[in-house]
Amino acid sequence: MGTDNNHHHNNDTTITTTPATLGPNISNNNNNSSSTANNKSPPKPPIKPAEPPTPTTTTTLQPFGSSPNTADSDFISIPSYSRWFSWDNIHQCELRFLPEFFDGRSASKNPKTYKYYRNAIIQRFRDNPSSTPTKKITFTEVRKTIVGDVGSIRRVFDFLEAWGLINYSPSSSSSSSNKAAAAPQQLSHNDNKDSSSSATKSAAAPPPPPPPDAPPSASADNSTTAAAAGGPKKRLCSACKSPCTISCFTSDKHNLTLCARCYVSNNFRVGISSTDFRRVEISDVVKTDWTDKETLHLLEAIMHYGDDWKKVAEHVGGGRSDKDCVARFLKLPFGEQFVGAPESSEMVDNQLTSRGSSFQNKRMRLSPLADASNPILAQAAFLSALAGVEVAEVAAHAAVTALSDFAGVKIKANLKSVPADAKQQDFDVASHGDTAYRMDGALAEAQSELEKEEEDVERALSEIAVQTKELQDKIVHFEELDLQVERESQQLQQLKDLLYVDQLTLLFYKAAAHKSGESMVESIKAE
Amino acid sequence: MKPLSTWGSSRNPVKFRIPTSDNLLPIRLDIEIDGQRFRDAFTWNPSDPDSEVVVFAKRTVKDLKLPPAFITQIAQSIQSQLTEFRSYEGQDMYTGERVVPIKLDLRVNHTLIKDQFLWDLNNFESDPEEFARTFCKDMGIEDPEVGPAIAIAIREQLYEIAVQSVASAKESRMIKKGRKGFEHIPISKAGGIAVDLVKSFGNKSSVIRKRKEWDVFEPIVDLLSNEEVDALEATEERNAR
Repeated sequence: MGTDNNHHHNNDTTITTTPATLGPNISNNNNNSSSTANNKSPPKPPIKPAEPPTPTTTTTLQPFGSSPNTADSDFISIPSYSRWFSWDNIHQCELRFLPEFFDGRSASKNPKTYKYYRNAIIQRFRDNPSSTPTKKITFTEVRKTIVGDVGSIRRVFDFLEAWGLINYSPSSSSSSSNKAAAAPQQLSHNDNKDSSSSATKSAAAPPPPPPPDAPPSASADNSTTAAAAGGPKKRLCSACKSPCTISCFTSDKHNLTLCARCYVSNNFRVGISSTDFRRVEISDVVKTDWTDKETLHLLEAIMHYGDDWKKVAEHVGGGRSDKDCVARFLKLPFGEQFVGAPESSEMVDNQLTSRGSSFQNKRMRLSPLADASNPILAQAAFLSALAGVEVAEVAAHAAVTALSDFAGVKIKANLKSVPADAKQQDFDVASHGDTAYRMDGALAEAQSELEKEEEDVERALSEIAVQTKELQDKIVHFEELDLQVERESQQLQQLKDLLYVDQLTLLFYKAAAHKSGESMVESIKAE
Repeated sequence: MKPLSTWGSSRNPVKFRIPTSDNLLPIRLDIEIDGQRFRDAFTWNPSDPDSEVVVFAKRTVKDLKLPPAFITQIAQSIQSQLTEFRSYEGQDMYTGERVVPIKLDLRVNHTLIKDQFLWDLNNFESDPEEFARTFCKDMGIEDPEVGPAIAIAIREQLYEIAVQSVASAKESRMIKKGRKGFEHIPISKAGGIAVDLVKSFGNKSSVIRKRKEWDVFEPIVDLLSNEEVDALEATEERNAR
């Protein structure tokens, strides 16, 4: 399916097909063409990729579903078994399911009208999204606008709906997984069209979905109170509707709660990114609260045992695993006992940010700080705490040196003036306050940028030179042509003159002949 | 579709059907239940099985979220119009040389249309849908509901005329038994509206329409504002009662 010239859709409509089992979207290119004899004025295609995506409607009941809503300006999803569809052609299965149009029995039902109905319906469906939240069209809407007899229109409509070419969205009022679960079952019956149409009607054209409504609202409630580390709450994941046990991820921005599985499998809408979520430890909140006594024990144990969390856990007792202890410890406000920690954590933080490492996925299992809005920072702080003050300091030092070496090499290549040793020494000195390092790094970058720009400018200049040369050649060519044209016009002029002369002579002769004729007549008369 | 000679003389009876290329029936619904009014018009294919009627009624009610009491009413209305059509189906109708003026005077949402044009009844290949499509395209009508409304209006008028011709054929047959010279009668009875082609395009007059008739035959499409629409609807309701 390639691309096209056509009047109605300026750009390619990106059609995404979903495998009949789960969730969203793989792109597929669709072949467009003018929908024949469509008496509607050509609607502006909302399917332009250039258009900014519509904002996610987070206030709707279905936090998870309706993923095409946000993506609808760019993608339309159709199931993979409907990939055969194209605007211009009629496929085998259409012949099979709607034979009335193709058997020539009635004059009005021919392939052309079938195509008109089909394209008009699909066109109308695809135009809808911006106005209706659910993006489904009803048969009645359609048949009011299409010129033709309602029986056939209804059959075409049912056919299209059964094959997911219209009214197909991973969910409109039910969660994605629910719909996805329903979809394969109903579509496996597709051979028998009637049963499928009734089945899809009941499932796919759904007067909505009470069951999924309850959990999302419940989880929405829960997530708002999640911040308060209050009493135990029940949490349900908005995507898979399973109760979250160990840990879950909350996004206050979008009012969602996901279980770890869903979060990891990236099962959320396009508008949301993984950084919007923060991790909430259920076990910590749900199971028990840490009493003061336990906290005291914890601190004692840490002072005694340092890094040995097993012993700490033993000391704390009360069914606290070592992980629990670690988690609790981190959540405690860092008091004066841990003076060294913040500094080292800063250094480590800088090191990590400048390196841009992603410990994220690995360390997620251990819990970050309470306000872990920035996971990297959290990791850095955690690591520094774990590692201990001096270790962190030395590590930071070494890292900074290593990095400065790297940058120093680059700068050496560029500058060639300042001895590298001096630079290194500079770096050593500046290891703690590494603003200097940062500046040098920036300098190196700036140098490379400069070089790049120079190259670009040179390239552009050479291109211009080439183009001017071409232009010159063209001008010469045109001059020649011009000359030729002039020559030819001169010739033409000469010919014209000759012709004129001939005409004149002819006239003279005629006149002369006439006169002689007259004189002859006169002479005859005279005689 | 039966091949028919388009120059059927007034003697040649033809089996009743809507004189268009597809034998579709215009159906109009106007049902009121408990103060809720449902008005609609669409084309129906009489060769569809009757089960289709109920299916359609249910679908419509569901789509428009009407109370379920409508289902039976709608189905009944459709069914009765269908049977009426079928009752005419076996009979004959006369097709003379008939070019009839068709008038359009309808309001669909915000668009008001007034038009008049001549239509050849003998042309069984004619297609009101095609006409409606072209009309909307030419007049730049953006509301997609106008097209079908036009097609249905045309069909209804054609249907009426066809029915009339059947009635007149029946009468004339009865009269024929009585006396001769029945040929005049179809024209006078059902043909009061017909335009006699021979007369108007007779000897010396040109085919071009006279200037004073231009206004009559020119299509007028008006876009109404919301207030006008409301006002019109109010008057219509008053008239209906």
